[in-house]
Amino acid sequence: MTAKEKSSQVKQRDLSKIIRPIFGALVAAYVLWRLYFVFIVEAKYGPQVWVSLLIAGLIIGAVYSLIAIGYTLVYGILLMINFAHGEVMMFGVYAGYFVLEATKAIRVPTAANPDLVFADAYPALSIILTFIVGMGVAALVGYYLEKIAYRPLRKAPRLIPLISAIGASFVLQNISLLLFSPQLRNYNNPNAMARGNGWKIIINETPVNVPYTGVFTLILSVVLMLGLLYLVRNTRLGKSMRAVALDKDTAALMGINVNQTISSTFLISGALAGAAGVMWGLHNGQVYNTVGFLPGIKAFTAAVLGGIGNIPGAMMGGMLLGLVESIGPTALGISYQLKDVIAFAILISILIFKPSGILGEVLSEEKV
Amino acid sequence: MKNHQARTIIQKGLLFALILILIMAIGFHEIAAALVSRVFSVDVRRGSLPEVRFMMYFFGLYAFISGWATAGKEGSFSQKLLQGIVASAVAGLIVALFDILLVYLVQNGIDIREYLTAFSTASMSYFLFDRGQAGLLQHLVYFVIFGGLGSLLHVIRDTEAAQNAINKASFFLKSSKEKIDNALPPFVRKYGKYLVLMIVAVAMYILPRLWGSYINFVLGLVGLYVIAGIGLNIIVGLSGQLVLGYAAFFAMGAYSMALLNAPTPHNILLGFWPSLIVAMIMAVLAGLVLGLPLMGLRGDYLAIVTLGFGEIIRILLKSDLLSNLTGGPRGIHDIQGPTLFGRPFFSDINYMYIIFVAVALTIFVYNRLQESRTGRAWLSIKEDAIASQATGVNLKKYKLLALAIGAAFAGLVGGISAARNQFTGPNDHSLLVSMNVLSIVIVGGVNSVPGIILGAFTLKGLPEILREVENYRQLLFGILLIVMMIMRPNGLWPATRPLYEHMDDPESTKKTSGKESNNA
Repeated sequence: MTAKEKSSQVKQRDLSKIIRPIFGALVAAYVLWRLYFVFIVEAKYGPQVWVSLLIAGLIIGAVYSLIAIGYTLVYGILLMINFAHGEVMMFGVYAGYFVLEATKAIRVPTAANPDLVFADAYPALSIILTFIVGMGVAALVGYYLEKIAYRPLRKAPRLIPLISAIGASFVLQNISLLLFSPQLRNYNNPNAMARGNGWKIIINETPVNVPYTGVFTLILSVVLMLGLLYLVRNTRLGKSMRAVALDKDTAALMGINVNQTISSTFLISGALAGAAGVMWGLHNGQVYNTVGFLPGIKAFTAAVLGGIGNIPGAMMGGMLLGLVESIGPTALGISYQLKDVIAFAILISILIFKPSGILGEVLSEEKV
Repeated sequence: MKNHQARTIIQKGLLFALILILIMAIGFHEIAAALVSRVFSVDVRRGSLPEVRFMMYFFGLYAFISGWATAGKEGSFSQKLLQGIVASAVAGLIVALFDILLVYLVQNGIDIREYLTAFSTASMSYFLFDRGQAGLLQHLVYFVIFGGLGSLLHVIRDTEAAQNAINKASFFLKSSKEKIDNALPPFVRKYGKYLVLMIVAVAMYILPRLWGSYINFVLGLVGLYVIAGIGLNIIVGLSGQLVLGYAAFFAMGAYSMALLNAPTPHNILLGFWPSLIVAMIMAVLAGLVLGLPLMGLRGDYLAIVTLGFGEIIRILLKSDLLSNLTGGPRGIHDIQGPTLFGRPFFSDINYMYIIFVAVALTIFVYNRLQESRTGRAWLSIKEDAIASQATGVNLKKYKLLALAIGAAFAGLVGGISAARNQFTGPNDHSLLVSMNVLSIVIVGGVNSVPGIILGAFTLKGLPEILREVENYRQLLFGILLIVMMIMRPNGLWPATRPLYEHMDDPESTKKTSGKESNNA
């Protein structure tokens, strides 16, 4: 090797090493400058604004967390990005919508109110029913998705299932478009859970709304996540899921039914996505055929943020992403239109600086 | 074992019944019947239902296919046949149950179109062959008869005698092709390639003048997608990096062309050709900016990051932040067309010529690249990054180079299409465009130029011709992607390995091409 070649190689190595810090410094400088500008120079927002943004961020973060868990579970076991996971959630949203429509249509007349409908007579029951059906439908969609689009490709190289997943995402989106028409629909919440209603807390002499749907979302998602953690750590199914994630062939030798375990993983992640979907519907209200796309991508971001394959990581990543997305545009003083850009920018930055995520990846070594 | 078999048979029947019900629920049975009627060259006006007999033909065809697919794989002749018939009967029974629901809805005039759009009374009774309960029975009978026929044919095909006949026929075809090849005079064999090229060139000069503007428009679109497909193939197929944000590079090219060459918002009017070069350079720069920090990423991470990058570009173009610079969500209108030697050169025929030249150039560049040292470096990276690094391939440099060259082609396509449409806007560069290009490469055949051309024709040209399927295009796209991945992961027209590997050892080529089919 001549001296010239050597020096050129050194230069190249230096280049790639230099670029990342420069890029990072630029981003950090920009963020700090904007924060300085908004908080110290302008300082036009009181604490009530930040508290309400914080609440909104926690709620959306809870939804992201639930979806992100689905990504993480599937990625941990099959090492593929389940690109259609957002669409699984979308079917959960639609299923919940139909259940609520049905409960609004069934009448249970009483003496006092002859027009009373089921949803208002038994709000708790109808919400529970909505969640059960939404989770069930989404779980079934996830289950058949795996069976039809992914299982035949289990032995294929890694990009092939990803492309199949993209195809599945197209298929699911368009099936719902053709089934339910492109019309934008609104969730018909029971009156007790109407959107926008909530407790008022007074901060800085301004009332801040804490919506009922939001609190409900937050509590339910925490319950579901704890349940999942228990399932993965303490049950037989969880044990076999961990074993299959570690090494499919050896797990099969130890008498674990790999196909069944993978199917149950898809069922579980689908059910969580369905729950997230119903929460999304109850809280945000709108249903359309691409409702799952952005939450899906963002939840994947959340999963990467927390470290893919890592369940607590996905939960934390989802919350973090929700908070940043909600507070970010205001804190940086940029237009609210650009909140999606913030999410994608976080994704890119995480992958550049710390691809293993905040809490670290949990993947078997051979796979990485 | 028996129990297990019964379960799979019922599951198969259930699957086919559910697919048929889904077809009805999305209203596709009308389109399918219309397509069948087209096969019998009976034209159906759009918006009106074809005759009922075409629905019957379609139903019979579907039952036949389900019978073919559900026929048993092992066991004796009659066992296999029985499995197929039972599965079809199960499917028929489930469809009949669904029919009962339809009959109920039709007879009571219940309208659920607000929730499920396809369930109009006309559509439902069309599914029942316009016969109400009798249609239900007919469905059942069709499933048993045509399903049985389908499985019978499948089982017969599986018998040894039939297999032998098929083998013989395919061998005969192959050998006759070789015979024809050998019979050609040496002159033709040597210069045949150039002869074909010349004929193509002449045809490409004459044909656009004869076709009329509609065909020119469709073929121009196909040509642009061919260029984009080849460009993306350099990134995905040669160097093995899955990029899902290819439309971002289009956007770079299209907006460079638009901003430099439209009266609003800047009125620079640089002219088409210099703008085209700027468009390519901008796309390359975008590729480098994206690629430099990301080269070390795992394949699927790269896919998602580039997807995010594409979306960022689109959202930024759409946002108020840049609307003074880029026209915001309204896009940019009245982009000027090219001139040649001072004369306007932007009729549809002229654009056709530009696209032909661009396609030819792209294919030439691609072929030269593929067979060069660079192309071999790319392929080696794709096959095994660590091994190729060990043999002295600079991974970062070559991956970046692939990204830059691929982006340059995207810039070219973006520039030409912006000028051709005289318009570009943020929604011309959505994720869907990236997916379309990717599908063309995958469906056509990774690393195969004829495959990509075929893919562009199938995915962009065919839907233009088959107007009936318009609403179902994306759905069919998705199904095609999944089916291709399962059945033919190497594409419609799979690539053959580059020539240099055939040179000394024909045995080894067989092995490597076999290996490639696993890895592609």
